[in-house]
Amino acid sequence: MIRYLAQRLALAVVVLAGLLVMAFVMVQILPGDPARAAAGRNATAEQVEAARVALGLDEPVIQQFWRFIGRVFQGDLGTSVFTHQPVLQDIAAVLPSSLELVAAAMIINIVVAVPLGVFAAYRRGRAADVAARLLALLGAALPVFWLGLLLQLFFAGTLKWLPLYGQIGFGMDVPTITGATTIDALLSGDPAAFGSSLVYLILPAITLSASFIAVIARTVRSSMITALDSDYVALARATGASEFRVVVRHGLRNALIPMSTILGMQLGWMLGTTVLVESTFNRTGIGAYMVTAVLQTDIYPVIGSIIVIGIVFIVTNFVVDLLQLWINPRLRDSAWVRRRPAAGIPVAAQAGLTPAGSVGGVR
Amino acid sequence: MTALLEISGLRVSYPGVDEPVEVVHGVDLVVPQGRKVALVGESGSGKSVTARSVLQLDPDATIAGSIRLGGQELVGAAPKIVRGIRGSGAGLVFQDPLTSLNPVMRIGWQIMQPLVIRGVSKKEARERGIALLDRLGVVNAAARFDDYPHQFSGGMRQRVVIAIAIIAEPALLIADEPTTALDVQVQAQVLELLHEVADERGMGVLLITHDLAIVAGFADDVVVMRHGEVVESAPVDELFAAPKHPYTRGLLGAIPRLDSDPSVRLTSVADYVDTFETVDDEPAAPAAENGAAR
Amino acid sequence: MTALLPARLRPSSSPRRAPRRRRRGVPVAERIALVVVVLIIVIAIIGPWIAPYDPYRVDLAQALQPPSAAHWFGTDVNGRDVLSRVLVGAQVTLSATGIVLLITLVIGVIVGTVAALGGRVVDEVLMRITDIGLALPSIILALGFAVALGPGLQSAVVAIAATWWPGYARLVRSIVRETRHAEFVESAVALGVSRWRLVTKHILPNSLDPMYVQVTLDVAAVMLVISGLSFVGVGAQVPSAEWGAMIASAADNVLNGWWALVFPGLAIAITAIAFNLSGDWLRVRQDPTLRDGGAR
Ligand SMILES: Nc1ncnc2c1ncn2[C@@H]1O[C@H](COP(=O)(O)OP(=O)(O)OP(=O)(O)O)[C@@H](O)[C@H]1O
Ligand SMILES: [Mg+2]
Repeated sequence: MIRYLAQRLALAVVVLAGLLVMAFVMVQILPGDPARAAAGRNATAEQVEAARVALGLDEPVIQQFWRFIGRVFQGDLGTSVFTHQPVLQDIAAVLPSSLELVAAAMIINIVVAVPLGVFAAYRRGRAADVAARLLALLGAALPVFWLGLLLQLFFAGTLKWLPLYGQIGFGMDVPTITGATTIDALLSGDPAAFGSSLVYLILPAITLSASFIAVIARTVRSSMITALDSDYVALARATGASEFRVVVRHGLRNALIPMSTILGMQLGWMLGTTVLVESTFNRTGIGAYMVTAVLQTDIYPVIGSIIVIGIVFIVTNFVVDLLQLWINPRLRDSAWVRRRPAAGIPVAAQAGLTPAGSVGGVR
Repeated sequence: MTALLEISGLRVSYPGVDEPVEVVHGVDLVVPQGRKVALVGESGSGKSVTARSVLQLDPDATIAGSIRLGGQELVGAAPKIVRGIRGSGAGLVFQDPLTSLNPVMRIGWQIMQPLVIRGVSKKEARERGIALLDRLGVVNAAARFDDYPHQFSGGMRQRVVIAIAIIAEPALLIADEPTTALDVQVQAQVLELLHEVADERGMGVLLITHDLAIVAGFADDVVVMRHGEVVESAPVDELFAAPKHPYTRGLLGAIPRLDSDPSVRLTSVADYVDTFETVDDEPAAPAAENGAAR
Repeated sequence: MTALLPARLRPSSSPRRAPRRRRRGVPVAERIALVVVVLIIVIAIIGPWIAPYDPYRVDLAQALQPPSAAHWFGTDVNGRDVLSRVLVGAQVTLSATGIVLLITLVIGVIVGTVAALGGRVVDEVLMRITDIGLALPSIILALGFAVALGPGLQSAVVAIAATWWPGYARLVRSIVRETRHAEFVESAVALGVSRWRLVTKHILPNSLDPMYVQVTLDVAAVMLVISGLSFVGVGAQVPSAEWGAMIASAADNVLNGWWALVFPGLAIAITAIAFNLSGDWLRVRQDPTLRDGGAR
């Protein structure tokens, strides 16, 4: 167990280090002079020089790097030129809204993909094969934003069941407590606003989940096929266990092992895909924040967002690694971990996820 | 002497590439109450398929003929009835203890499960499980009850599998090559144990095996299968003393080849194991094909 | 020597299985996909000549006309013919995709080869860099580069290429490491062939097969990121006929001009499906063992 934990933790640290190096390199190669930006538009040459020294930009690169790391660990991701706010503060304000969207999409993802995968494994055959393949094909080919617009067209336009876009119904207002509209509505005890914000969440969440469903369904299907063909499932059946017990308690319980790993990675990718979904549905969130910053050539918010999304990715993957200890008891046994074929980094699993190595435009 | 298990005219087929492929062609077999019957035959002769069809474990197998367990007809019976006899009418032990246990469940829970699903309280199921595991020779059974399969050795795991198979007190135990995957020394122990437990509980046993040495010491009756058919069945002494079918003679390797069956090669007792490969004129390829085509 | 032959030329290792495998040639779906791929490439080349109208001519009097005999795909909010724009857009989108993949290939080959032949430390460092590149969504990283380069299709292309190469570096590295010990390489080494020559003349040409498969499979993915960046306004700018940018400008009129967004989206989707299916087919053709496992 110790060995496994050490392995996973080391991996998380390596990826984090790489992320920070990359962020630093991005800041370095970006044209434009941060000293001038910091000193302000009308600064004199001396003022710019002073800002340069104040920011430590006259020091050797290595020193600047350590300084950068130090700042990041203190939560200083720079200041946005346009909002004049510290980037971290900006992100803290918009991130909950994105997380709410990602959570909703994740629920849809699991609720749709898992039964689908189980069913396709249980009712094996040509029809299930074709359906699985078709789903994978569409999941990897439909542009996320286009799908979102089509859903708007159909559910908001033609059927008029759901609102076109936005965060909450017109005229409704919830105080900003966490930043996630549904939760804020709940916290402020406003059921109407809560209902409204949920309704507004439906289409974006479906859109966001769409390209991820096929991958989970396929993972579940293939690990369920392995499980259902195994001796232990036959043995469970042979003792008189019901089909439900055999499929869920024995089969799905084992399929959870690969599934949870991939769900963990998907969480980070979903957060990345909010860039497209939040633009499509006019929602606030880290994706929309990034896009705005890019369009305004506002460097630090973009780099800061990359760091935050990267950290969310690293943390969720580590949490999933911890969950694995509970899901897969063999990992608690160091001898077994050692005997196991070389523990790959999580991204290595990516290659096997989709034939195109891509998920709806988000690799 | 009443028949516990009575199979007659059993035909089993699987969906093939174009049409169903029949792999068992009319097998007759009887396991009397409390007796031990060995089912022998070369690889691919249909032993496992026959055994598994008693509990109807393969969803894609088509079964015809008659299988009576304790007088109850199982072919064509309602799924509920079939499920009812699984575990309590007949228990099953597979060949490979490494794959027979669910890797993510505690062995104790896996042993208790057949009782729990029959409405026995968890507490009682646990007590009975520990007692049985203890009887099956697992040292410190109570402490090891909450271990996971990977913490057990192969021989110990097979004892767990046997415990799972017999805890709901079936009248018949079907053991499909229960010792093939074990060390020679452990093999003997496990077989000995099976023999004892069967006698204690008055269970009938259908033992599938390749190993004629096992048959001689274990079984009362022997059924020899080949190419999905029974070629000979007789009490063990009779069969060893005077095998009637040339194939059986080939298996026993004791008698010079007669002209009757050209595919049987003359063997000595020492190398009869090799015989299975050489008489095997239908290699396992069809199985691989079917597996891949699914 | 069999290792040198592409898988499909190798003698079958299990002759017993051969008669069972019916040779049906290319399956129907894949056959259609291949035709569509060719068709799309042709359109990308001749699009500007076959477009019935000027794709950039604004005619507000004709704004948001539904599909008709004159305008098969209708007109957009500026009165431009959607069909013409989709046809011309094929060139814009596909050439951008092609350039991304070309740059990616070059960087990937260089980094992968250096990692494979450059010793442990170099390898370790380069592979950790690719880890990050593969871990984070490409669109996020691309935004990081795009902010430096400013909005525009060219910067989008550069930004995506800058995030896309790690997969290729991995691929090239593993191929080079495998081929390094192939017989023909060892004999070349024995003959005193220089390292550089070995790589360019012997190893790389033999590594091409898996790479063109990967390129085909990546066309869809890269195209989706390009159009995604254009959709949010970071990529192609108005009035470009890039498919994603077209959808972006139609997004404001979802309810009264569906045609202006449906057709460019269909173009993206069809192109993506066709390339993915073709890529899958190429992959299976190269390594027939994937055929049965592939769907799982
Ligand atoms: N699920 C299945 N689908 C299709 N064919 C099968 C299936 N299971 C078994 N068969 C075929 O039935 C035949 C008999 O197989 P069986 O497993 O009963 O042999 P066996 O006598 O138990 O051999 P062994 O000693 O190797 O275990 C084989 O030819 C096999 O290919
Ligand atoms: Mg068998």
